[in-house]
Amino acid sequence: MERIHSLYLHVPFCTWVCKYCDFNAYAVLEGLIPRYVDALAREIELAGAELPIGPLDTVFIGGGTPSLLTTAQLRQLMAPVGSIGIAPGAEITLEANPSNVTTEHVDGWLEAGVNRISIGVQSLQPDALRFLERLHSGADAIAAIRTARAGGFSNINADLLYGIPGVTLAGWLESVDAVLAEGVQHLSAYELTVESKTRLGQEVRTGLVRMPDADDQLEQYWAAAARLEAAHYLHYEISNWARPGFACRHNLASWHYQPYLGCGAGAHSMFRRNDGRTERRWNINGPHAYIKQASASGYAVAGSETLSTERARGEAAMIGVRLLEGTDAVSDFPAERTQLVRAGLLAEHHGGVRLTRRGIELANQVGAAFLR
Amino acid sequence: MSTPTKLTRAISVIAHVDHGKTTLSDRLLEYTGTVAPRDMVEQVLDQLELERERGITIKAQAVRMLYKADDGQTYQINLIDTPGHVDFSYEVSRALAACDGAILVVDASQGIEAQTLANVHQALEHHLKIVPVVNKIDLPQADPELVREEIEKVIGLPAESVIFASARQGIGTKEILEAVVREVPPPTGDPAAPLRALIFDAKFDAYRGVVTYVRVLEGTLRKGVRAQMMQTGKSFEVDEVGIFRPERTPVDDLSAGEVGYLIANIRNVRDSRVGDTVTDAARPAPTPLPGYRHVTPMVFAGLFPTDSDQYQQLKEALEKLQLNDAALVYEPETSAALGFGFRCGFLGLLHMEIVQERLEREFNLTLLGTAPTVEYRVKLRNGEEVPVDNPDHLPSPSEIESISEPIVLATIVVPSAYVGNMMQLSQERRGQYLNTVYEPGDRVVLTYRMPLAEIIHDYYDQLKSRSKGYASLDYELVGFEEANLVKLDVLVGGSPVDALSMIVDRSKAQQQGRRLAEKLKTLIPRQLFEVPIQAAIGGKIVARETVPAMRKDVTAKCYGGDVTRKRKLLEKQKEGKKRLKRVGNVEIPQEAFMAVLSLD
Repeated sequence: MERIHSLYLHVPFCTWVCKYCDFNAYAVLEGLIPRYVDALAREIELAGAELPIGPLDTVFIGGGTPSLLTTAQLRQLMAPVGSIGIAPGAEITLEANPSNVTTEHVDGWLEAGVNRISIGVQSLQPDALRFLERLHSGADAIAAIRTARAGGFSNINADLLYGIPGVTLAGWLESVDAVLAEGVQHLSAYELTVESKTRLGQEVRTGLVRMPDADDQLEQYWAAAARLEAAHYLHYEISNWARPGFACRHNLASWHYQPYLGCGAGAHSMFRRNDGRTERRWNINGPHAYIKQASASGYAVAGSETLSTERARGEAAMIGVRLLEGTDAVSDFPAERTQLVRAGLLAEHHGGVRLTRRGIELANQVGAAFLR
Repeated sequence: MSTPTKLTRAISVIAHVDHGKTTLSDRLLEYTGTVAPRDMVEQVLDQLELERERGITIKAQAVRMLYKADDGQTYQINLIDTPGHVDFSYEVSRALAACDGAILVVDASQGIEAQTLANVHQALEHHLKIVPVVNKIDLPQADPELVREEIEKVIGLPAESVIFASARQGIGTKEILEAVVREVPPPTGDPAAPLRALIFDAKFDAYRGVVTYVRVLEGTLRKGVRAQMMQTGKSFEVDEVGIFRPERTPVDDLSAGEVGYLIANIRNVRDSRVGDTVTDAARPAPTPLPGYRHVTPMVFAGLFPTDSDQYQQLKEALEKLQLNDAALVYEPETSAALGFGFRCGFLGLLHMEIVQERLEREFNLTLLGTAPTVEYRVKLRNGEEVPVDNPDHLPSPSEIESISEPIVLATIVVPSAYVGNMMQLSQERRGQYLNTVYEPGDRVVLTYRMPLAEIIHDYYDQLKSRSKGYASLDYELVGFEEANLVKLDVLVGGSPVDALSMIVDRSKAQQQGRRLAEKLKTLIPRQLFEVPIQAAIGGKIVARETVPAMRKDVTAKCYGGDVTRKRKLLEKQKEGKKRLKRVGNVEIPQEAFMAVLSLD
C-alpha cells in the first residue's frame, strides 16, 4: 500500500446542530467526549501501528466542533499522532466555532501543535446567523479571528456561506469585506446547499423556506470571487481562495488524489493498494457505536469499496477538475476533454485544462463526463 | 383418463381486477388436487413475469381438473383463463367461445364494478351459464348479503344462486365446484362427427414448435391425424395431443367438449391463428366454426435501441417474440434522428407497451418507442394508393390527392350516470354518434364511428377516468374514410426530428402543434445550451418554445466522504441518461416521443 502522509480526525460533537448541516454531527452528547477521545486515540494508535503511514505532512481535525475539546483532550489525541511522526513544517488544522476561540484555547491549540485554524464564521449578518441557527454573533466571529491572530495563529481560514435566504448581494459582500479586512490567509465560500435530510430540507420541501434561485446564487458567488481576486487571493478550488502559499495542503492532497487516513466516527479514508487500485473505507457513523467498537478493537470500519483503475481515474478527474489552477487529471480522457473544451466548459491551461467560468457553474456536468 | 362427454365442463373465471380471480383459480386447482399445495407458486396461471407484476393476463391459459362430486361421479373441469384488456378483446372472445360456463367473482366489500359488468356482458353474449360468487367474505369490511342483492338487482342472477366464498381461506371452494358440475351444461358436440376444434391460443415452445390450445367442439382429435387449419388452409401432421394439468400431459385423444393442446411441428404461430378451426384433413368438416377474425395490427410505432449497438440484438429479440405473438409485425425502419430500428405493428397501446417491456426485460435491451400511429391510405395525384404507417413517410402535399384514415365502430358500455361524459369525450375525438341502447341493470351501450387515430391517443384512459373506471370499450375496424389531414413536424434545436412527426386533423393542427411544443418543453431536460422547439406545418412554423440552458450544476463541497457520495450521485444521473436518445446534440427522453399521445 502506498505510504500515507495525511490524517483526518473527526470530532462529531456540537453544542447545537444547525438546521442546514448534514455532517456527521450530534448535539447533547458532549458527555461522551472523554470516552470518544479515548476511543479515537486508540484508533489512531492502532492505525499507526498497522498502516504504512507517516511522517505526516498534514493533519486536519474537523467536525462537528473540535474546538469543544479541552486542551487536555486535544493533547491526548495528538499524542498518538506524534507517534506516527509529523514531518517538519507539517500543516495541522483545527476547525473552530467562533464561540470557542478564547485566549486559553488558542494557547492550548498552539501548544498541542495546531498551526492552522479554520473558523466557522458563516455570515456576519444577524438575520442570516439567526436563520442558520448559529449561536454566535458576527462580532463574536470577528473577535474570534482577532483572538486567534493575537494568540499567534498566522494561518487562519474563515468559512462563509452565500445564497442564504433573505441576504442581499450587498449584505453578502459586507460579510466578505469584513472578513478580508481581518487579513485572513484563506477563505472558503460555500453555497448554502439544501440537503434533503436536514431540517432546512424539510422547510424547503414544505414551502416554509424559499431558497434564492440559481441566478442570485451565482451572482453572489461571482461577486465574491471578484472581491477576492482584487484582494490578491488565488481562487484555487471552486469554493476556496487563499493568499499565495496558504492553500489548504490537507485538502489539496486529497484533491490531488493522494491517500489519506480518516479516524473517528464516520470518517472516510482513501488508500492506494499495491495493485494500483484505490480503496475507500468509512467508519461507523454513530458516536456510541463508534466508541464501543473502537475502544474494544481500535478498529471501527463500517464499509469499504475498491475502485477499478478506470473508475478511480474518473474519480480523480472529477475531483481534479475542480482545482482552478489547472489540472492534468483529465489526460486519461482525451475524447471527453476535447468535447468539454469545445463546449466551452474547459479551457487549455499550461498543457492541462481548467474550468472556464461557465465550467465552474456546471462543474458537476464536467465531472460526470469522466465517470462511466 | 377418458371422461364421458356428459361429465365434461369448460369454464372460465371472470372478475373485476383485484376481486380475486387468480386466487380463486389457484384454490380450485389445489382443491381438485391438480396442483399440490406445496407446488403452488402464487398465481399458477399467470405465467409471464410481466403478467404477475401487472396483475393482468396477457396470454390465455388452460388447465384440466378432475373433481369427484357429491353425486359420486368424477367430472373433468376445464378452466380457461382469459386475458383482460381491450387490446386483447378478440382473444377473450375466443377463449369465452371455448367455454360453456363462467364463474363470476365479485368482491364482498367492493360489490359490482365496472369490469364485472363488461365481463358479464361478454359471457352472456357467448351464452355462458354464470355461477356467481361473492369472494373475500372474511374481510372485516365485507358485506356479502348486500353484494348478493346487488347481483340479483343489477345482473339479474337469482340471489339464492350466489355462493359466498373466501378464496384466500378456501371457504366455498367445494360449493363452487358443485355448482359448476350442476349448473354448467355439458358439451353437446358429437364425438363421432367430423372434427371441429376451436383454437383459442397458441404458444411457441423452443423445442416443440407451436403448441396450439384448442377446445374440441365436435369430433375427436387424435395423434397422427393430419390437422387442417380451415382459415389458412395449411395442414400439419399431429405429433402429440394433450391436456394441461397444468403442465402439458400427452393423452391419446381429445374428444368433443375437451380442452387441450396439439403439437404438429408448426414453426410459426401465424399458422395457428386464434379463432381458426382445426379439422381432420382426411375427413374435413363442411364449415368452420363461426366468429373467426383475421387479426391485424391497428397501431404502428417505431422501436429503436437507445444504444445503436443493440440493433442486431433487437432484431433477434423481435424474431423470437414474434414466434409467440401472432399479432406482432415488424419491418426495419431508419430514422434520421433515431438511427436504425423497426417499425412495428400492434393490436393496441397495451400490446405495444407489453411488447416493449418484454423486449427490454427478457432480452435486456434499452429501447425507445416512438408515438404510435395508425395506418393511413394515401391516394396520390398519379392515381396510385399507398399505405402510410409512419408520419414521416407521408408524401409531399403536392403529390397527395387525398388521405383516408381507418375508422372504427366503437362500443362503449357504461352506467347511465356517465353517458354525458362519454358523449362529450367522443365528440371531442371526432366521434360520430350512432346509437344508444339502454339495457337492464343500468347499462347503456353507446356506439360511435370514430377515427382509430383518436382512440389510440389516450381515449381509453380518458374513457376510464371520466367514468370512474366503469366504462368498457370495444372497437372494430369498419373501413377507411377520407379526412382533412396534415403532417405536423417538430424541430428540436433547429433540426427536424422525424420520429416526432404526426399526422393530425387540419382544423386541430395549429393547436396541437402549440400543445406539443409546450409539452416537449417540460419533457426535454435542460441542456448545456438553449434548445428551441418548433412545430411546423408544411414548412411554416406554427409554435415555438425554448428550453432554457442549464443555469447551474455545481456542488459546493467535495471533501472526504463527499467524494464517494458525489461520484455515486453523478454515476446514477449518468445511468439515467442512458434512457435518453441523443438527437443532434440534444438529449431527448422517451416520454417526449410519447408526448403526442396526451395533448388534451
